[in-house]
Amino acid sequence: MKYLEFKIAVLERTGLDERAFRESGSEIYIAANLENFHGICLLLHSILSSPVMLYFAEDNVKTSGVYTLRCGFLGKKIQRWVFVVVDIPKDNLNFPAISKDIVSAQLFEREIKEMFGLIPAGSPDVRRLRLHDEVWPDGYFPLRKEFVKPEKTNNTGKYYVFDRIEGEGVFEVPVGPVHAGIIGPGHFRFSVAGEPIINLELRLGFAHRGAEKLFEGKSAKEAQIFSECISGDAAFAHSLAFSLAVEQAAGIDVKENVKINRAIGLELERIYNHINDIGGMAIDVAFSYSSTLASIVKENILRLNEKLSKHRYLKGSNGVGQCALIKDKESRVCLLEVLSGAKTDIDLLKNILFSSVSFMDKVDTTGTLHRKTAEDFGVTGLAGRASGLELDLRRVFPGIYEKTSFEIIRGDKGDVLSRLNVRFNELAVALRVITELSGQINFSGKEDSPEAIIISGTGLGAVEGWRGPIIYWVKIGKEGKIERCKIVDASFNNWQALSCCVHGNIIPDFPVCNKSFDFSYSGGDL
Amino acid sequence: MKITVIILQAVLLIAASPFISGFIKKLKNHIRMRKGAPLLQPYHNIVKLFGKDETISKDSSYIFRIAPYVLITTAVAAALLSPSFFPSFQISGTGDIFIIIFIFALGRFFTALAGLDTGSTFGGMGSSREMFISALAEPAFLVSVFAASLAAGNTGISSLLPGGVFKISLVCSGLAFYLVLLAETARVPVDNQETHLELTMIHEAMILEYSGKSLALIELAGHIKQLVLLSLLVYIFIPVGSGTGFYIIKIVAVAAVTAIIEVALAKMRLFRVVDYLIFSFVLSLAAVTAFIMGV
Repeated sequence: MKYLEFKIAVLERTGLDERAFRESGSEIYIAANLENFHGICLLLHSILSSPVMLYFAEDNVKTSGVYTLRCGFLGKKIQRWVFVVVDIPKDNLNFPAISKDIVSAQLFEREIKEMFGLIPAGSPDVRRLRLHDEVWPDGYFPLRKEFVKPEKTNNTGKYYVFDRIEGEGVFEVPVGPVHAGIIGPGHFRFSVAGEPIINLELRLGFAHRGAEKLFEGKSAKEAQIFSECISGDAAFAHSLAFSLAVEQAAGIDVKENVKINRAIGLELERIYNHINDIGGMAIDVAFSYSSTLASIVKENILRLNEKLSKHRYLKGSNGVGQCALIKDKESRVCLLEVLSGAKTDIDLLKNILFSSVSFMDKVDTTGTLHRKTAEDFGVTGLAGRASGLELDLRRVFPGIYEKTSFEIIRGDKGDVLSRLNVRFNELAVALRVITELSGQINFSGKEDSPEAIIISGTGLGAVEGWRGPIIYWVKIGKEGKIERCKIVDASFNNWQALSCCVHGNIIPDFPVCNKSFDFSYSGGDL
Repeated sequence: MKITVIILQAVLLIAASPFISGFIKKLKNHIRMRKGAPLLQPYHNIVKLFGKDETISKDSSYIFRIAPYVLITTAVAAALLSPSFFPSFQISGTGDIFIIIFIFALGRFFTALAGLDTGSTFGGMGSSREMFISALAEPAFLVSVFAASLAAGNTGISSLLPGGVFKISLVCSGLAFYLVLLAETARVPVDNQETHLELTMIHEAMILEYSGKSLALIELAGHIKQLVLLSLLVYIFIPVGSGTGFYIIKIVAVAAVTAIIEVALAKMRLFRVVDYLIFSFVLSLAAVTAFIMGV
């Protein structure tokens, strides 16, 4: 479907005026009102066959007396982000909920409600998400501009009620929020009958730091550092998505070399994380030899990162309009050397894992996430692809990847083995892509990118991080200060996949299911 | 005289038992290209734990408090009955091999009760899994030993000792015994001692609530149990050489095999353990049949 056809179809079926469309780069904003908002969202959801990718409010009470709501979908075929925009007057905070029809909007609406106090009328679930009832008093909405911190944030006397599963021999197993390993905080409430899991309810939000609020009032340069801390294992992807958003907002052009370097950084991050998770899956089933091998590969990549960017996790290597990882021919030689070593090790690791009967028995058919479930919950990234969904931002917006042999990797069964396979195949693709890209870097012209001048505007930046899409929507005010920054990490919606995939599995298999996804607590909790 | 030697032997066994655990750990880490903790680390751990205070849940009963003592008592009793460094001094008539098995069963019974006692979910989960596994492990255990005692014509430990020559029945029952030993000592592929994942634990989950001195006793009991089972294995089922030197060599060899198995295999799914233990049981039956056939 071409963009024009899409536009005509939408205009015809909604009866909107053409002026309701505003285009800016790859973003389209459709102005709606409270009456037709719900209808347009449903229409886009079905035409684009896209889940709600990002959905957020913005406080414009001071300037125009309204809260602005933006609901974004991804048009894979038209290669555009499509937003439905609606204004909610400050004296009537109700808006029609779309989550009763689109499941993937549910968490977003809960977030909007707790952060802004806007009420999604008709939503099936209005519980708080991150500001836990036990400690956060009513009536405080952090993302409103006039927000002042509550004086006291402990013991409100309320408590959270988990879903009760009743029946003979059914009991609950609470795990977390403090876990035995060095991982993030999250509470898992299992309802089990013997060993098989009947229900799993997740309660997250313990790592909530108010990241979006912290961005407000900062200059792009200051905020860049913050973006690297949203999810430490995806520091580069987050920082890249943020700079893309700022560049889009300020209309900054980026040089070819910078684009190549960014793609290389993104793939390096993918490699070390994928290999780390493969090792993690092995250790979770007590297959320790192979996990040691995986940790060696990871360490080699981290050392390479340090050599290239002076930081093991690639922090500080990306900026608005600039990124230089491969600065000279020497570092390119070093990069290729390390990667060819990694390739040998990864092949060996794959051999060990796939020839071990005891390991394969443990991962095959474990933790199946069905395609339809993944689709409904808006599961994206690696988790979605392993279940057969065809969604990869590197395919939708190829950019520099057009010059490489990049291919989208998918699985079909959606079990732990399928995710393991997708990881191995993505590793192979990443190694190949980096090698091809590094040959295209131009070292001749000495190009000093001047300090970019940030002007006001709004922009969206999205990259396919190793977990999945990381999306930043940024609004920059007159003095170059950030007014609103919406962050969506793939983990936000994907966490729901975990509670769906464990049904019918036994409790001892849960850790390996969890590791096969490896979602980010801090990325989801912000 | 004999009594003194036997007591001395038991003391030696108890003293040496943490070393075997340390050795297995060290070897495992060596295979995984790691340095690993020092060989004597299990001793340091026990000493450290003895010097610490404990936390006892206020919801627990006396069972929780006495379980470690029951456990250590059963382990020491088994150590007194088991042949180890000086096998020639074994007294006849002080008990037979089945006593040892049931002494361990007593210890396990109390550990499982203690796991349930605090009312924590992991303890209950561990106890239920432990009982599930031991219900299958014990028959296999008994039958494998039965095969050996058929050959000896007696179930007394001293008469089992001079095994003589390798026979098919002995190999089968020895293998069956070893499979059960891995399950009993909470090793891969049945359990994983190294894991931090509470949800996958079996033995560790039962004792999660213990700390300080109680934990030290439980850990020591675990080391002793492991060495007692290893001693029985090498004396009854590996009839090569005799004397203290051979004993030590054989123990170290079996421990090394255990370490290699632990590194090379992934843990089984919980319900696959059934197949594993039934295999062990069938092997023991095969051993009995083989003995009757005279091979």
